[in-house]
Amino acid sequence: MVKQETMLDLEFRSWLLEQPEGETLLRCYQCGRCTSACPVAEIEPSFNPRLFLQKILIGDKSIAENQLVWNCLTCEQCEVRCPEHVKIPHILILAKVRGLMAGNVPLAALDRARTIISEGRSLSVSSPMLKTRTKMGLPDLGTPSMDQIVAMLADIGIVGKLENVKSVYGDAEDE
Amino acid sequence: MSKPRTYTYFPGCMIPYRLPHFELTAREVLKKFNVELETHSEHSCCPEPTTFTGVDFEAWVTIAARNVAVSESTGNETVALCSGCFHTLAVANHMVQEDEELKKRINKRLKKSGLEITGKHTIKNILHVLHKDIGLDVIKKQVTNPLTSLKIAPHYGCHLVRPLEATHMDHAENPQWMDDVIRTTGAEIAEIEDKMACCGAPIMPSGEDKALTITASRLDQIKASGADAIVVVCPTCYTQLETQQAKVADKFETEYNIPVLYLGELLAFSMGMTDIVTANQRRFHRVKLGALLEKIGGTP
Amino acid sequence: MTKTAVVIGAGLAGIQVAQQLTDLGIVVHLIEKESIIGGLSTHLGRVFPTGDCALCLDASTEIFDGQHRRCQYRGLVTEKKNLKLHTLTEIKSISEVDGNFKISIKSQPRHVDLDRCVVCLECIEVCDVNTPDEYGIRGGTRKAIFRPIPQGVPLAPLIDMEHCTKCGKCVDICKVNAIDLEEKESTKTIKADALILATGVEEKVPLDFPGYEYRTSEDIITHAELARLLDPAGSTNGEVTTSSGNTVSEVTMVLCVGSRDLDAAEYCSQACCTYSLKHADMLRDLGIDVTICYMDLRVPKSSEHYLTLAREKGVKFLRGKPDSVIIRNGKPMTIVEDTQSQKRMQIESDLVVLASPLSPLADQNDALAEFIGEYGFISRVAKEGRVYACGTATGPTDIPTSIAEANAIALQVYTDLEGGV
Ligand code: SF4
Ligand code: SF4
Ligand code: SF4
Ligand code: SF4
Ligand code: SF4
Repeated sequence: MVKQETMLDLEFRSWLLEQPEGETLLRCYQCGRCTSACPVAEIEPSFNPRLFLQKILIGDKSIAENQLVWNCLTCEQCEVRCPEHVKIPHILILAKVRGLMAGNVPLAALDRARTIISEGRSLSVSSPMLKTRTKMGLPDLGTPSMDQIVAMLADIGIVGKLENVKSVYGDAEDE
Repeated sequence: MSKPRTYTYFPGCMIPYRLPHFELTAREVLKKFNVELETHSEHSCCPEPTTFTGVDFEAWVTIAARNVAVSESTGNETVALCSGCFHTLAVANHMVQEDEELKKRINKRLKKSGLEITGKHTIKNILHVLHKDIGLDVIKKQVTNPLTSLKIAPHYGCHLVRPLEATHMDHAENPQWMDDVIRTTGAEIAEIEDKMACCGAPIMPSGEDKALTITASRLDQIKASGADAIVVVCPTCYTQLETQQAKVADKFETEYNIPVLYLGELLAFSMGMTDIVTANQRRFHRVKLGALLEKIGGTP
Repeated sequence: MTKTAVVIGAGLAGIQVAQQLTDLGIVVHLIEKESIIGGLSTHLGRVFPTGDCALCLDASTEIFDGQHRRCQYRGLVTEKKNLKLHTLTEIKSISEVDGNFKISIKSQPRHVDLDRCVVCLECIEVCDVNTPDEYGIRGGTRKAIFRPIPQGVPLAPLIDMEHCTKCGKCVDICKVNAIDLEEKESTKTIKADALILATGVEEKVPLDFPGYEYRTSEDIITHAELARLLDPAGSTNGEVTTSSGNTVSEVTMVLCVGSRDLDAAEYCSQACCTYSLKHADMLRDLGIDVTICYMDLRVPKSSEHYLTLAREKGVKFLRGKPDSVIIRNGKPMTIVEDTQSQKRMQIESDLVVLASPLSPLADQNDALAEFIGEYGFISRVAKEGRVYACGTATGPTDIPTSIAEANAIALQVYTDLEGGV
């Protein structure tokens, strides 16, 4: 049983290392500069990017289901200061991706993603807004070929996933 | 007049459908320099880099690459006014350029729509266009209403600048391009602590309290600098620092009242096009511009 | 036929290799760009592994019982007939014809004749000019005619013409007519059979490492600066003070500042862990609290006792690389994650000492460009049978290792030139 768990964990780590820029993780020497640079860590003691990377490095996949990873601003302050150019926010993004099916995705993020794959935009375009654009003399932007986009996304598998996923975040998301 | 310089304009979602005054002022200002922004109906959501990435990265990079490929087919360079869009397109483009495997994988998907991404396409933001392509001296010549009475806090925002290898901006910690452009209007630059601090917006969906704490700290820094207004490029920063400003002030029982302008609005002021800003101010500006307009001699 | 070797750089490795070769019957020209020999060690005060004066680590049996060393300044660098020291001298070009080098050098004037000067120092007394002392800290000054450090060899003073007013007072007082205010620079070409690069390293001035506000505060210093503060013969008489003159009670040290960093020096500077410990020990002896922020402590076996001592003396160790050292309320504050307790800390102290990288000096001289390898360092044999390197020119290291390497290279040069031992 323990064995099986270990294998699963290593699979998470190997998957991550295979993603674009995922292998930058291996350069991390655990100095902690990222954590001391991070504006979220400054206000939230349990948000610790170095520790998150350490967990991934040793094959602990719990991080994917940890809601804290969604507290990353993707501001890259850590990355700018990292002496080893580790793509820290990107690695946290990859962790989030792996937590999707477990529901580790904020409701608003899920809504946005669903709007994107159905309408091609992250927000619904209202008709008053279209009128405002015309009034301002701004051009009509048209609509992309959604069938083409959806076909691609179905291939990747995200369309089905988004139908099934349930966010573990409550309605009152914060805390 | 000579043939206009044309860019393929990548609109995204936030600017065209929520904050169109960004697009309006950018277009009007760029017209002064004979620059045209051409749209393409095949452009979709970029997709935005703060949440969709974490839902499905492969889908994110694929849609982004598709948008770049659409741009590439026009033969013109791309300009994205929104920093989120710019970041997405620039990063995806850079990844494709660096990673042959990824490029193959994506081009296989794009082939069905007759599109291809090479990784060589040029993606710009408004500062590349103003600072590099048009040039400070040329901008200065169009400034008819110098804003010498104003002290401006430039808020760059993270996604406009980082990561440098993809954005090709001037500096990851101490960028100067927006400062330089603002100075052409005659305005003074307010020295803010932590030049590249984040506005907090990206974590609104997952941790509003923390997001607003970060926003408050940013507004505190700017207030301490004595700036008359904040100037931004990014619509998401705008939403956080402008639209949410009153909420932040309430939450932390303080007052800010710092107007926030899009860079295009500031340039419009300096080029005698105050009316295109004032015509829309009530709809898009929650923090009143009255005092600011008085200072620069416009009608509030 | 007598062979000639040119040694570039009169730091400890250069002095060592030069002395050894001279003793083996080879004519040596020792070229030094500064006005005195000793290189980086002249800044250091006490050095490891024994905590002796840095200038005492040269080879001889005289001073330290049983140890193979002596004070270099009591040595014969300026006395040996076959060892020609050229101070204030730089290499202009190196050319090679039929296996022989032609090395052209350019010397800046000292304005004091080394053969005449009797080191009475009366000239320094009478000079009215006061200017900041390069070796001083916290406001030390020196005259226009001066000696960088009292033990500096050559012992005679020199004149800094940038600050000299040419008043002539020193010329008048000198009883042996040693001073020539009009002395000009000179050039010379030396023929040599072998070239030894002992160009060394310097402690990088940490002006441009993001996060560390060295530029804005005199209370954020480097180890070379701390050594000056700790030096009993230095401008503070060994008292460790803040920029405002207060006594220091808490010091934070930051290791690996700009070393092992893809944006700065990618290599480990090797010696900084040990000299941080050495300085921490010295500070503890003065009753000062010390916290060392480290990633890992890379201390060679020969210096491990410094670590033991530091632990015994109550130096605090914190594993983490600080993101920043900023000034808050007039004092330096270090922001760091203690990676063991996983806590983000803000440490206030009176003084922060940065372990700045040791960076190679060889790549500052174009004439040496062809010999330079990775990161600006040179391999021990840069050109088979002709060009050698030793000391920190081959990579940062501590003094005992430098000296050992110099000895090894001396033997190799001798073997190559004289065809066997
Ligand atoms: S700063 Fe970079 S190397 Fe250091 S712990 Fe963070 S990711 Fe790892
Ligand atoms: S990118 Fe995320 S982890 Fe890095 S500094 Fe910003 S918030 Fe912290
Ligand atoms: S006065 Fe003359 S002899 Fe005496 S130290 Fe000066 S130069 Fe030398
Ligand atoms: S000539 Fe120059 S060095 Fe000599 S005493 Fe005058 S100022 Fe000093
Ligand atoms: S010797 Fe120590 S402080 Fe110096 S670079 Fe190496 S690990 Fe860092």
